[in-house]
Amino acid sequence: MKKVLSAPALFVGSGIFLVLGLLLAFWYSPVDASTMGYSQKILYFHAPIATAALLAFGVAFVAAVLFLRSQDPKWDRLGVVSVRVGLLFSVLVMATGMIWGKAAWGVWWAWEPRLTTFLLVCFLYAAYFVLRSVVEEEQRRATYAAVFAIIAFIDVPITYLSTRLLPEGLHPVVLGPGGGGMPGNMLVSFMISMFGMMLLLAALIRRDLGIEDLKERVADLKNSIGG
Amino acid sequence: MGWLQFKAIVRKDLTRELRTRDMLVSMILFVLLAMVVFHYAFSVKEGVDLTYFTGGMLWAVFIFAMLLGLNRSFAQEKDERCLDGLLLCPVDRVVIFLAKTAGNLIFLLIIQAVAVPVFTLFFVSRSYVADLPLFLLVLLLADLGICALGTLLATISMNTRSRDLLLPILFLPLIVPVLIAVTAATTTIFATGTSLGSLATRLLFLLGFDLIFMVAAYGTYDFAIGE
Amino acid sequence: MTIAEGAKYVAAAYAVILVVLAAYYLVSARRVSTLRRDVELLEEEVRRRAPKPGTD
Repeated sequence: MKKVLSAPALFVGSGIFLVLGLLLAFWYSPVDASTMGYSQKILYFHAPIATAALLAFGVAFVAAVLFLRSQDPKWDRLGVVSVRVGLLFSVLVMATGMIWGKAAWGVWWAWEPRLTTFLLVCFLYAAYFVLRSVVEEEQRRATYAAVFAIIAFIDVPITYLSTRLLPEGLHPVVLGPGGGGMPGNMLVSFMISMFGMMLLLAALIRRDLGIEDLKERVADLKNSIGG
Repeated sequence: MGWLQFKAIVRKDLTRELRTRDMLVSMILFVLLAMVVFHYAFSVKEGVDLTYFTGGMLWAVFIFAMLLGLNRSFAQEKDERCLDGLLLCPVDRVVIFLAKTAGNLIFLLIIQAVAVPVFTLFFVSRSYVADLPLFLLVLLLADLGICALGTLLATISMNTRSRDLLLPILFLPLIVPVLIAVTAATTTIFATGTSLGSLATRLLFLLGFDLIFMVAAYGTYDFAIGE
Repeated sequence: MTIAEGAKYVAAAYAVILVVLAAYYLVSARRVSTLRRDVELLEEEVRRRAPKPGTD
């Protein structure tokens, strides 16, 4: 039972990169020249978390497709775990996004593309868990969850697109990290944090998978005892 | 062969609804009552102009009505075990999906045929007869997305424990893009009138949404409807 | 906004990230140890109930 063996390594690895990214962000990268000023430093983790969340949901999408193809429950387990971690990260995106919003624009909330999309993402994947909780039979639960994971993931870019392309006319603020591209010394810290966050995502998924495997083992043992 | 089956299922669903008519009448009453509720919800001041709320109100009403209608029609099917009988026949699952979607679409159109004139009477001060074809196009495109997605999700949710409450939770986050596109388009038509050109983006967006989710439903409906 | 004020928000954001992730990890850590203990107890039980040679 290899279990969570590689997870510690991933955690350590991600920790190193994240700390490094943080140090660079604060001591190496310059303070943002735009009106956001110092609060832009939040971006160094906010954006990587957002990307990692979307990646997690992408993993869930692939796992869902593979489950429907093979009916192998291990894909369902991967799906649940990725959605859970993705949802966790999405909540963090919202929290950091709101803090950043308060710092940069003075308001805690604005109906702008990124915050709105992640709000809906949270609702969507929370619904995933509600769906799972009201289906009793295992096979059916996994099947329905997979169908929903596929539909949900397709909807995410569409939602983002709709908030961007179809202006409702009343947007008080436009969000964007200062200007188009990022100067080199910001990019470095950003990339390092991004990589660290990916490792963290992998670490959490790996670990949670191990936990799911443990749960399976307990259930199996209980069955063989006849309990 | 598929076409014949399609027609047969649609005819069966429609005859059943139209024979008793109770669901149709109930939904029409609901829609009209909801409009009255909206009037009171928004009339905070004497003579306040609700013109820019009209699109949103209209589609909010239709979406909530649709949620009720989908639940009712699928619940009836399940309770009377019609679906089991249907599944025993060698019908391609996708045909069932298309037939149910078409049935729901026709149903929605009938309700809208009554609701839109009344809504116009209550809330729209400008005559938009000139833009009527455009309005109908918008209506149709949005209806298609709502019915396709609604049918797919209702098929899943009807087999769960809390089916009435689950459908809205699954459906609403997913339909937001449609809502964004259609309320803006509708409000513009009601408020100032417009042309095909300026609505082009939204129309294409709705069309894209419909196509993408029809394809997604095509791929997943087998699983949604179960063994 | 001065750097000092900005820094407060930045610190808050990173603190939130840290706290939430740490909480998630700790809560699941407790579940891991419970599960591990369950596995051991159950395996013990399975061994005990294994048919002994001579009976049956």
